[in-house]
Amino acid sequence: MSEERETRIFMISPDSMITPDQLVREVHAMGKEVTAKETCYGTLVEGPRPLVGEVLAIIRERYPYDIYSKVRAYPTGDRRRCRAEHGTRPGYAQLEAEWEMLPLIQHGIRCSENGERPAVPKEKEKLPLEEFKKICEAC
Amino acid sequence: MKVFIDPPNSLILFDLVERFGHEPLGTMAPIQERIDKTEVDMPPMNVSLDDVVKGLKYAGVEVPSGIRGRLALWGPLIEAADAALIMEDPPFNFGCVGCERSNEMAKYLIRRRGIPALTVRYPDDKEEAVMTVGRIKEFLEGLK
Repeated sequence: MSEERETRIFMISPDSMITPDQLVREVHAMGKEVTAKETCYGTLVEGPRPLVGEVLAIIRERYPYDIYSKVRAYPTGDRRRCRAEHGTRPGYAQLEAEWEMLPLIQHGIRCSENGERPAVPKEKEKLPLEEFKKICEAC
Repeated sequence: MKVFIDPPNSLILFDLVERFGHEPLGTMAPIQERIDKTEVDMPPMNVSLDDVVKGLKYAGVEVPSGIRGRLALWGPLIEAADAALIMEDPPFNFGCVGCERSNEMAKYLIRRRGIPALTVRYPDDKEEAVMTVGRIKEFLEGLK
């Protein structure tokens, strides 16, 4: 991955009280040489990779359960992807679907940090032959 | 360790892998490489015709070009990965994860490499979420 530029999506969980505006202001207040762009779901942060990493570490420390992040391939405001420029947005449906799911993931992370053990999923068992015969005869 | 995530553009998986101390391998890195170096300017496509040819390494010539294009991005990631994390039944199969044949091929390549892999489902409720996140955490913490 490019060491020069990193663009990161910071997505706010739908049940969080943080607003995109608040998040952008916080990023600006950090005083790092990065660009922050407010979006409907949170913010896009762009800059040299080490600095974006520092922003990520601070945000994750302040809001461990409210904000989720991933790298974005295209730069902020890129004409090929920017909505203002009528760019296409493949992958956005996936993001939207995962955004709706973030409260569940948040709950899962909290529980795992509290030491809750994950239940072992039940494995599907084969239907006994005798039972299958009975079903066939009944049909 | 490098962990390949499937769906390769998943925000949830990318975040969880990073959170638990590993390097996620998603589709964003190879796309960024292409954008920064070769200037892909054919939206909505993220690959060039050369990539479709490169995809022949992972799928036969009779396989549709869309699958080969996707595998040209994902194949090198799977080859570089030390482990894989697969979430099945994505809530919305659209965009780069919208091709089931490509998704199956990616899973086949993971199995063929024989790297440690965890398969979980996208959670539908809180109970499932605890199980999914817990299993992912256990898996990632166990990688050394």
